[in-house]
Amino acid sequence: MEAVIDVTGVEKMYRRKVHALRGVDLQVGAGEIFGLLGPNGAGKSTLVKVLLTVIRPTKCTGTVLGSKIGDKSALSQVGYLPEHHNFPKYLTSQQVLRHYGAMSGVDRKTRNKRCDELLEIVNMSEWSKHKLGTYSKGMRQRIGIAQALMNDPKLVVLDEPTDGVDPIGRRDIREILLRLKDEGRTVFLNSHLLSELEMVCDRVAIMVHGLMRQQGTIEELTDGQSGFVIQTKSAMANDVIAAARDAIAGIEGRVEEEQTKLRFDTSEAGRIQPAIDALRARGVVIESIGFHRQSLEDLFIEAVNENGGGAKPGAQRAKKGANS
Amino acid sequence: MILRQTKAILVDAYRELNAKKLFWLTLGLNLFAVIIYASIGINERGFTVLFWTLEGLFNTSMMSKSAFYKFEFITWGVPMWLSWGTTALALISTAGIIPDMVSGGTIEPILSKPIGRVRLFLTKYLTGLGFVGVQVFVFSLGCFFVLGIRGGSWEFGLFLAVPIVLAFFSYLFAFCVFIGMMTRSTITALLLTIVFFLLIFVINIGEAVTISARESAAVQIEDAQEQVEAQERFANKRLEQFQEQGKAIPGRDGEPLPSNAIDSLEALNPTLSFAKKSLVKSQGKHDSWDVWATWISRTKFVLPKTGETISLLERNLMNNDELDGFIDMMENLGGEESNKQDPRVNERINAIYDGRTITWILGTSFAFEAFFLGLSTLVFVRRDF
Repeated sequence: MEAVIDVTGVEKMYRRKVHALRGVDLQVGAGEIFGLLGPNGAGKSTLVKVLLTVIRPTKCTGTVLGSKIGDKSALSQVGYLPEHHNFPKYLTSQQVLRHYGAMSGVDRKTRNKRCDELLEIVNMSEWSKHKLGTYSKGMRQRIGIAQALMNDPKLVVLDEPTDGVDPIGRRDIREILLRLKDEGRTVFLNSHLLSELEMVCDRVAIMVHGLMRQQGTIEELTDGQSGFVIQTKSAMANDVIAAARDAIAGIEGRVEEEQTKLRFDTSEAGRIQPAIDALRARGVVIESIGFHRQSLEDLFIEAVNENGGGAKPGAQRAKKGANS
Repeated sequence: MILRQTKAILVDAYRELNAKKLFWLTLGLNLFAVIIYASIGINERGFTVLFWTLEGLFNTSMMSKSAFYKFEFITWGVPMWLSWGTTALALISTAGIIPDMVSGGTIEPILSKPIGRVRLFLTKYLTGLGFVGVQVFVFSLGCFFVLGIRGGSWEFGLFLAVPIVLAFFSYLFAFCVFIGMMTRSTITALLLTIVFFLLIFVINIGEAVTISARESAAVQIEDAQEQVEAQERFANKRLEQFQEQGKAIPGRDGEPLPSNAIDSLEALNPTLSFAKKSLVKSQGKHDSWDVWATWISRTKFVLPKTGETISLLERNLMNNDELDGFIDMMENLGGEESNKQDPRVNERINAIYDGRTITWILGTSFAFEAFFLGLSTLVFVRRDF
């Protein structure tokens, strides 16, 4: 797959003290919806800003849409919605779209056409002549998304697009994202709303403390942690557990919740049948058997905890001799 | 694409000013100033305000209507209204251009567009100047019609006010933009620019005072030197008389002086001693003022020449005859008060100011502007937002 974003070793150090990015490698393929997750302060927005030349990296090699990072010409094919955007409140949504369209180099005729189309898509046509100052946060967010699409971009970068948006608005935004994907555009989503990402992303990456911890499709990342869970009515005796484990060779049975749950890391139902038989033979009452897939949230929390928790800001103060 | 983006930035700047009601407010105030300009005039009986005539010496026999309106433009329109009024309004209107642009949430979408930072920054800077240009042009256009219709002279030179006032404003605006860039605060940028403007004003006054005092002392030195020479001639004459008559030269206490006495001349002419003391005193005064004047001039060298820039209009709009006539008229009106200043001091001061070439005035001022603008651009280009 052709890479729309292909960067390696992205580093950003602020004032030689704060190490926001510590050598990030990232590849985003054409036509996919890519989600970047991470706790607050992980460096997600910094990475996005580096890609869009808003921030100058300390070190970086790679390309965006085939152009070297920092090349402004590539930005005519990129749409961007910043996290805490503050579009001029004295402008109407129509004026905002036309202004940013012109700044992206879109000609007048196309601007007018795109403006009407996009306002329709984000359900803001009725408000097109009202000033942004009168809008709710969710409405401004919709206009922000429309603004990012004015130049008919190949790559759309959205930083927390559902921030402040109500559930209906979120659903609308999800639909817009899927529509963009259908149109063949690449969408780069930056969010910490995991359920949102899980629903639309083809691939995700987890960033913690300025480093990319995991990258891949949601299935790839969660498959290894999925399996069947056997729930019993009462706690199982140790010999019963041992018997069930022995019945399935090669898969470790993990005991959970005071010996009332037995988890086997396999997605093949046939493989856990001997364990069920062993339990039943020993008179164990089985309450339920179910397949449990690790959620993105589980994965995320695991990744964050592995790296010292998420509460701590990701931007680390550089120590003397620290590995950058 | 460049034109499209530039136009978008200009339109946005207009909308921003319009949203703050500043564009039309300032334009309205400029038109009001034109009305004031038009409402004052002279006729054969005296000075006129709207429909009333204040009869007096000041009438068309002293000065033609066209010359009056030109003088009014030069003495009130430019130094008072455009230099202070319009500049203050323009600073209030434009001080927020850069801080607003670099504020969080606003700058990111702009920087993510295919436009270089240097071009973006300089275009924003030029929109500020463009705003002032429009205001000054409207005022000049109004004054041009007033001068043409009421004064009977169509003076295209009046439009020189546009580039000259624009240059004057650009010095301050470059400083304002620099402060705005560094602090990201409109209020701080505005206040510090006003303080800077006042500082330049004070330095200009300081320079005028010290140069005036120094040149006054220089004239006093000349006078004292002449006095010393005259008294020495007189004393020498008396000495010769004493020597011809073979008389001993009497000392101050009446006793004859010894042959090697050095103050024989002063003994023969006590006024010489006073003249010499006066010379020494004037020299001391001159040296003291010269130190101050030199320091102020050095300080001023690196600062923009606001006063001199505005004076360029006077130099270009009025010929020497008109200027002389105007000075005579002011002296006549001023009566005895204005005659107190020694004309030689005035000549010397004028020679100093006239010696400042346009290249020096604009060159050093634009160097100041270029320095601050360059610094601001560099900060903008290198800053992470």
